[in-house]
Amino acid sequence: MSAVSVKGVSKSFRLFSNGRDRLKEALSFGRKEYGRDFWALKDIDLEVKSGTTLGILGRNGAGKSTLLNIISGMLQPTSGTVEVNGRLVALSGFGAGFNSDFTGRENVMLNGLILGIERQEIVERFDDIAAFADIGEFIDQPIKTYSSGMKSRLGFAVAVNVEPDILILDETLAVGDAVYKETALQKMYELRDSGTTILFVSHSMNTIETFCTEAVLLHEGRVLASGETTEMTDQYRALVSSIKAQKNNGRSDGEQALTGIVVPDEEGEGLEAWSSKEGPNLEHGAESRSTTGEAKIRSVELLDEHLLPVEKKVAPDSAVTVRVDLEYLEDVKESELIITLHNEKMGLKVFSTSTAQEGIPLEEMEKGEQAVVDFTFKVPLQHGRYSISAAARAGSEGLYLDRMDAARVFKISRPKDGGPFRGIVHLPTEVKVHASEGERQGRSV
Amino acid sequence: MVLSTKVFSAKPGSWRAILGSLATFYERRWLIKYFVQRQMAQGYKGSYLGLVWAFLGPLMMVAMFTVIFSEVIGIRFREVTGDSSLNFGLFLYCGLVPFLAYQQALTQGVNVIRRNSDLVQKVVFPMEILPLTTVLTSLLQNAFGLGALMLVLVVLEQRLEWTILLLPLVVVPQLLLTLGLSYLMAVAGTYVPDVRETLRTFIRATFWITPILWPAGRVPERFSFLVDYNPLAFLVGAYRALILDGELPGAMASIYFSLFAVAVFGVGFVVFNRVKHNFADQL
Repeated sequence: MSAVSVKGVSKSFRLFSNGRDRLKEALSFGRKEYGRDFWALKDIDLEVKSGTTLGILGRNGAGKSTLLNIISGMLQPTSGTVEVNGRLVALSGFGAGFNSDFTGRENVMLNGLILGIERQEIVERFDDIAAFADIGEFIDQPIKTYSSGMKSRLGFAVAVNVEPDILILDETLAVGDAVYKETALQKMYELRDSGTTILFVSHSMNTIETFCTEAVLLHEGRVLASGETTEMTDQYRALVSSIKAQKNNGRSDGEQALTGIVVPDEEGEGLEAWSSKEGPNLEHGAESRSTTGEAKIRSVELLDEHLLPVEKKVAPDSAVTVRVDLEYLEDVKESELIITLHNEKMGLKVFSTSTAQEGIPLEEMEKGEQAVVDFTFKVPLQHGRYSISAAARAGSEGLYLDRMDAARVFKISRPKDGGPFRGIVHLPTEVKVHASEGERQGRSV
Repeated sequence: MVLSTKVFSAKPGSWRAILGSLATFYERRWLIKYFVQRQMAQGYKGSYLGLVWAFLGPLMMVAMFTVIFSEVIGIRFREVTGDSSLNFGLFLYCGLVPFLAYQQALTQGVNVIRRNSDLVQKVVFPMEILPLTTVLTSLLQNAFGLGALMLVLVVLEQRLEWTILLLPLVVVPQLLLTLGLSYLMAVAGTYVPDVRETLRTFIRATFWITPILWPAGRVPERFSFLVDYNPLAFLVGAYRALILDGELPGAMASIYFSLFAVAVFGVGFVVFNRVKHNFADQL
């Protein structure tokens, strides 16, 4: 059974240039129009199966929040129907109704009742909630004495500890300190694995790729595509790229009428990388320019120490070679090839380098010319799934010629001796022990 | 696990949905209780005596009225056989209690949606309970005021009329009337913010045209409709009859008043439920 079923939902808002127009229209009882309709959503169909973790992608103003608000019942669709099966908790409303004069305990009760939870159930779960919020004895203090982090933790704790069947998350993981974020994330995984249906909006591609099982891409109030997560994030990146390119170059790519005015604000990291032009600009989940199509990455191969194709697994600390086969479709004066290594589990960019960075620029290339570039490096990394992306970029302007995201996925196995190490990377280490009996030397494994 | 199915469509406010809203009053009774508690406590939070003020405040007011009107000004137009200590102060205060409840319910009601905008916009919230909580709060304060009045009556006159026990028969329609008005005010105040300013004048006007400061018997013939067709006048009169005089209000008037209260509640409740889905868009 579908947890959420959205059928033909549209939503329009009536916009007025000022309050007087709104009044005039109301008083004319439909005879005259002073405002105009803005369609935030147009004919949305969406089936979310029970247990799915659905990521919702889209630029600012694509209609993500409106859609979630309609699903959670806060907004009424202008047309169409929404069917929700099960207890739905929307985290946009966490901490709703908090009153700063009352104690944490009172507010937990009030907030729980506002979310529609039975009083008895809140009483039973109170200890869990208090433990999860982790605010200690402050629970019996008025929440005006709380820090803002404590307040959001308390609200978050109520919402996730009542076992929702459907959870709606709207970029709310940004609250609290690092330790708490970890706890919150863990709770999200726990809920996901216990079969909670989760609808998740975030601008962070990393989080969506690692956390969600499916994704849907919204653009200008319509569903542009839906399906497998990485496909959707790729499409989203392509969309962002084309808008960006259009904005930069002032030309149309023939890509619908994408008159993008708003630059999608991604993670701060992405924007920073964008402004500082140093280093390879292939940010995972960050801004990227359009691909000009002047070159084509024909293949990306992963080879082991003996230059044989890797069969899924690589031993830690062994050397691998990434071989990129590049074909130039136009004359290109100057270009560089960038590769990026991602840890798939953490959605983390582990390593990135480029021909330019390594001091081997790709000189003038003629149309039809091919270049095979080998990058050889050691992988002293934690075991797990990794992926390699490749991109070719014109050196001076920084336009992407072509790119291939997650072109190769492989595993790094556990080290045979010494057991798995902690942390992501094992830096070459020398250990010296200075004991009273003299010096003993040793090297790490 | 409770599995509930909810369907939101573009056609809210059907009659069935409106009847369902009545059921939410029961389902969310704890929420209502906490809201009323919160609103009651809010006014006195931070003071040392806390809720005691809800009783102490009215008590001081009755005491002041009594002293000023009987001892200082010396108005005694209300004839009490055998005992003249029952004075204009008590007469005035007894009429003021239901009026203050009405005033508070309306002025709170007109703002209730905007004041709770975070609930309206951020969570799925049964908005129909918001006006109910403000009205219940005002009636609760009404009850504290009556308590103070009774205390003064006992102290000054050593008597309480048995008819006080019949007060709930007036309070229930009073609740329905003010609740109905609150719903209408909430809708109006949300759509047209200017209503909030107008309301203050309106309430002041109803104060003067209602026999609170002046006795109903002294109204000139051509203005008698101010008493006859004014539900507030009935309410004030009924309170005075039951508490001060030990008499029953007129049977027909009581029935008309009750029917009127039910009608106002019905209209207010239906209108509110018809448009409540648009509140989030309006804010």
